[in-house]
Amino acid sequence: MATLRVEVLAPEAVLWRGTAHALVARSSEGDFTVMAGYAPTVGDVVSTVVRLEGTEEGEVRFAVHAGYFRVGPGEAEGETRATLLASVAERVDEIDVARAQSALERAQAALAAASSGDDPTAYVEATEAVARAELRLRAAAR
Amino acid sequence: MAGGQERVLRRRIRSVNSTRKITKAMELIAAAQIPRALARIAANRPYRDAVRGIVGEAIEADRFSARRLVELPEQVETASVLVISGDRGLSGPYNNQNLRAGERLVADLRARGTRVRLAVAGKKAAPYYRFRGIDVERSFAGFVERPSYADAQTIARYLAAPFMEGEVDQVLLVSTRYHSAGRQAVEVRQLLPFVAEEAPAEAPAEGLSGYTEFEPEVAKLLVDLAPRAIESEVFSALLEGAAAFLTGQQRAMAAATENADELARTLTRKMNQARQDAITTEIMEIVGGAEALRSGK
Repeated sequence: MATLRVEVLAPEAVLWRGTAHALVARSSEGDFTVMAGYAPTVGDVVSTVVRLEGTEEGEVRFAVHAGYFRVGPGEAEGETRATLLASVAERVDEIDVARAQSALERAQAALAAASSGDDPTAYVEATEAVARAELRLRAAAR
Repeated sequence: MAGGQERVLRRRIRSVNSTRKITKAMELIAAAQIPRALARIAANRPYRDAVRGIVGEAIEADRFSARRLVELPEQVETASVLVISGDRGLSGPYNNQNLRAGERLVADLRARGTRVRLAVAGKKAAPYYRFRGIDVERSFAGFVERPSYADAQTIARYLAAPFMEGEVDQVLLVSTRYHSAGRQAVEVRQLLPFVAEEAPAEAPAEGLSGYTEFEPEVAKLLVDLAPRAIESEVFSALLEGAAAFLTGQQRAMAAATENADELARTLTRKMNQARQDAITTEIMEIVGGAEALRSGK
């Protein structure tokens, strides 16, 4: 039987590992859905909510802050393997809305401070922090 | 006079014992932190291997369009070197091994006419190089024992940006690889241009890479991926370095504790001897005095 094995990996942990019916995400080229039998592909994932459909737990969603994915044949016959990599990612049902909200406020304050300063690194970091917090809130709100 | 020596020895024994208490505590603390450091390495491994897998596959697929990212120019004008060592000492040879390997690497590069931009992680590194007249361009410190991914990102950004802009031709990393509790070795690795590594064991079989699709195309993907791949490599190196540091510290402190035990034993023996001497002398004096009194009668 054709199965899709999915791994969601972050630098400090394996966030999720199991079989799913489909993986829905967005790359810089557009939305895509990976199912069993998908052609071997390597690509990027932009900041978005990634959905795993038809897993044992039902639908599992992740807020992914930019990453990469790779699809290839798995070890077993007829198995397709999808690996999703993200330096920052979290399960949507584990997002703490209050914390994300305060993180957003902090990030916005940092951004305001950085835009008046002349440290480009701080500005980039603050921009990214704001984007992360916004995605988190958006993902949790849905 | 004899009692004086005994007192001196007693004081030394007390001081050795309190030192021993400190080294023992440091040994236990390091030992307690090792499992967590190892767990972090294990948790990071799937991610690191997957990043390497993607980089490897992209390079395989199209070496030409991303030439600058995979081929070293004949004459390396400028190289960035990152040396990872510890924030603290008392960890056996850990710091010095890394620092010395870095020093050798810098000397080698310079001998070949390459300008070196040296960056270090760990508080111990900057003074070491400064003392030897080697300029340190950037020093990252304060997190080496418990690195976070954000720390790796900061370092990676510093390393990758000049390479991507073409100011630097090569990025090298000097760090300790943690192979096992008994074996850690200093290693020099080239981070950029990418080195096509032997693919990890779980990679799909050969021949399949022929028709892998890339989204976006390889050249663009690799340019984007390079800084993130460096983050991942730096993070893994920091994690392994932390484990190696703790292992080194545990071992060094265990040896120090043992030495303190040995020293305390020797000193106690000397002290007992001194006390015995003192008692003997005292008895001799009493006997001598009594003898003198009797014969004087």
